[in-house]
Amino acid sequence: MAIRGGAERGMRAMLEVKNLSAHYGSIQVLRRVTLHVTEGEIVTLVGANGAGKSTLLRVVSGLHRATEGEVLFQGEPIHRLRPERIVRLGLVQAPEARQLFPNLTVLENLELGGMLHGKQRIAEAMEETFALFPILPERRRQKAGTLSGGEQQMLSIARALMTRPRLLILDEPSLGLAPLIVEEIHRTISVLHERGVTILLVEQNAMGALSIAERAYVIETGRIMLTGSAQELIEHDDVQRAYLGKDYKYKWER
Amino acid sequence: MAEGSGARGAIDALSRDEIRRRQLEQLQVMLNRAYFHVDFYRRRMDEAGILPEALGSIEDLRRFPFTTSGDLAQRYPYGLFAEPLRSIVRLKITSDSEGNPIVVGFTRRDVAMWQSLMVRLYERVGVTDRDIVQVAFNFSQFPGAFTFSQAAEMLGATMAPSATASATLQLKIMRDFRSTVLATTPAFALHIADVLECGRAGMDRSELNLRVVLLGPDPVADAARERIEAVLRTPVYGLYGVTEMVEPGLAGECPGKDGLHAAEDHFLLEIVHPVTGEPVPEGSEGELVVTTLTTEAYPLIRYRTGDVTTLRTTACACGRTSARIAPVLRRTDSRTSVRGNPVYPEHVGAILRKLDPGILDYRLIVHTRYGMGEQLDVLVVRPVGEGFPGGGRSQYLEMLRSHVRRGVGVGARVQLVDPERLPREGLGDKVVFRSEPLSCETD
Repeated sequence: MAIRGGAERGMRAMLEVKNLSAHYGSIQVLRRVTLHVTEGEIVTLVGANGAGKSTLLRVVSGLHRATEGEVLFQGEPIHRLRPERIVRLGLVQAPEARQLFPNLTVLENLELGGMLHGKQRIAEAMEETFALFPILPERRRQKAGTLSGGEQQMLSIARALMTRPRLLILDEPSLGLAPLIVEEIHRTISVLHERGVTILLVEQNAMGALSIAERAYVIETGRIMLTGSAQELIEHDDVQRAYLGKDYKYKWER
Repeated sequence: MAEGSGARGAIDALSRDEIRRRQLEQLQVMLNRAYFHVDFYRRRMDEAGILPEALGSIEDLRRFPFTTSGDLAQRYPYGLFAEPLRSIVRLKITSDSEGNPIVVGFTRRDVAMWQSLMVRLYERVGVTDRDIVQVAFNFSQFPGAFTFSQAAEMLGATMAPSATASATLQLKIMRDFRSTVLATTPAFALHIADVLECGRAGMDRSELNLRVVLLGPDPVADAARERIEAVLRTPVYGLYGVTEMVEPGLAGECPGKDGLHAAEDHFLLEIVHPVTGEPVPEGSEGELVVTTLTTEAYPLIRYRTGDVTTLRTTACACGRTSARIAPVLRRTDSRTSVRGNPVYPEHVGAILRKLDPGILDYRLIVHTRYGMGEQLDVLVVRPVGEGFPGGGRSQYLEMLRSHVRRGVGVGARVQLVDPERLPREGLGDKVVFRSEPLSCETD
């Protein structure tokens, strides 16, 4: 029978966000958001500026408290844990706008990322990371602040990888980068995924993110308005409309 | 939408908890879309004082208002569309119990979804790309027939299309093309079985390669299934679709034939008490209520199907975890079915009385064979001695006959009878069933 067979990769949900609501003061930013990322998947959450993407990530990372709902990581509730505890469990974010230590060298930035698991593990992780990002060993002694935007983004992802995450969350990795550099970043993310890293990619750049993701969620004003396979959503009229800036006034308008 | 129809993420292989979790995710998206894209749903929710985000669990759906076929007809044509026409690639027309039109739209993704469901049903009963699927429907009366054909193509099963050819010709095609799968209505399958058994096709069962029969959109009565299986010597499987959604394939049988597995990645099913609307305990009979989880163009929130069935979530012998419904053999209203066409007696009554307000009473006589409606007779009583509107007696009967045919899509014999000859049964719902024996004389 076609539907049987043990080939199903990681049916277990790595991340489960359930009924998540969040406020800033009296303003509700998330309205019962439910989504999941299955082990081995690459999922993207796309939405415009102010849709609630960053708030969602802040809640998932333990930086902001939800007013309602729960976040499960590998089946365990984490929405009451402190951020450093969540990182230790293997849920790691490469933050938006890179947020590196500009006055430290590339090597020092990476070592800081790897400190989590003790010094003896750093060398091993560093080797793997350098293999993925060949530009970084060349720049190892350079101050992070002197790298180009694309290199900084690579370093940000590499630093997150030094913690050997089970789930890597990438917040707007293409922000402010030239199209060619974005493509390179996306290629790197695809390679990471092929190597078995589970990825949640959060992006404003819908088309780019959808081109490398397997599944996607579209968030608008704090609500999930669309979900499906990335392929389906690329072709979806709503996404096209939002992306191309076209809109309609009446349903019967053609 | 779910993660494709392939092995990965197949809904039938997930635990019940996992299925519910995914349904909750989709349901929240569906309510958001319905609220922001369809004025009708927005008004309904506002009136009920409820917002999409009130839904924190599947049970919370009970707080949302029902939708009826009357709602759909009242918002004809585009009132329930959630997408602009630009995104619609297919329109299909159906009707409510009074014959008022309902238009259902489909986006490209909707069409793909329904096709994938039909592929799933074929695969479930063992159809592969080696099979030759003979699709025998009246395509103009059952638009869902296209989905049977397209799904067969998607599956890679070669298709031998044959719509309204006679049973004799169907059997000849079946033999000559070496068809292995027959997809048709239960009524037509019964007829094909008769023709084969009576020897009118001039061939024997042993000349056929048939190995699977898939019947829809009507439910298959047990007696009909036994009869077809006995004559065609092949397993017969049924499927289920909501009439107003036009497409088949919402649920279908597995080889275990112990209920129809629902496509729970695309639909949420509830069973409610037909009068109170309250949920009934699992396994109890009630009205099927359907909420679409992924349809884009035409979302339905808690749609009252009028179909009476039961729902079970217990494990099936086949290993699939999806909920199963029992074949629908009763309705909450008086709708009946003749050769696969839904017939509402009140609709027929309205047609008759519009033509002749003087009609005193009427009955629909549905002749059934093996539990399936085959032939419709309409008995009419009118005051003795009054002239006939539209000319003489024969013109009058012809007028009634042609209007009934056009109105309900089924040819009927119309007879004038004396009041005392009107059957005592059917006083309330105007329908009387007559079981007919097999006759080898007629075609």
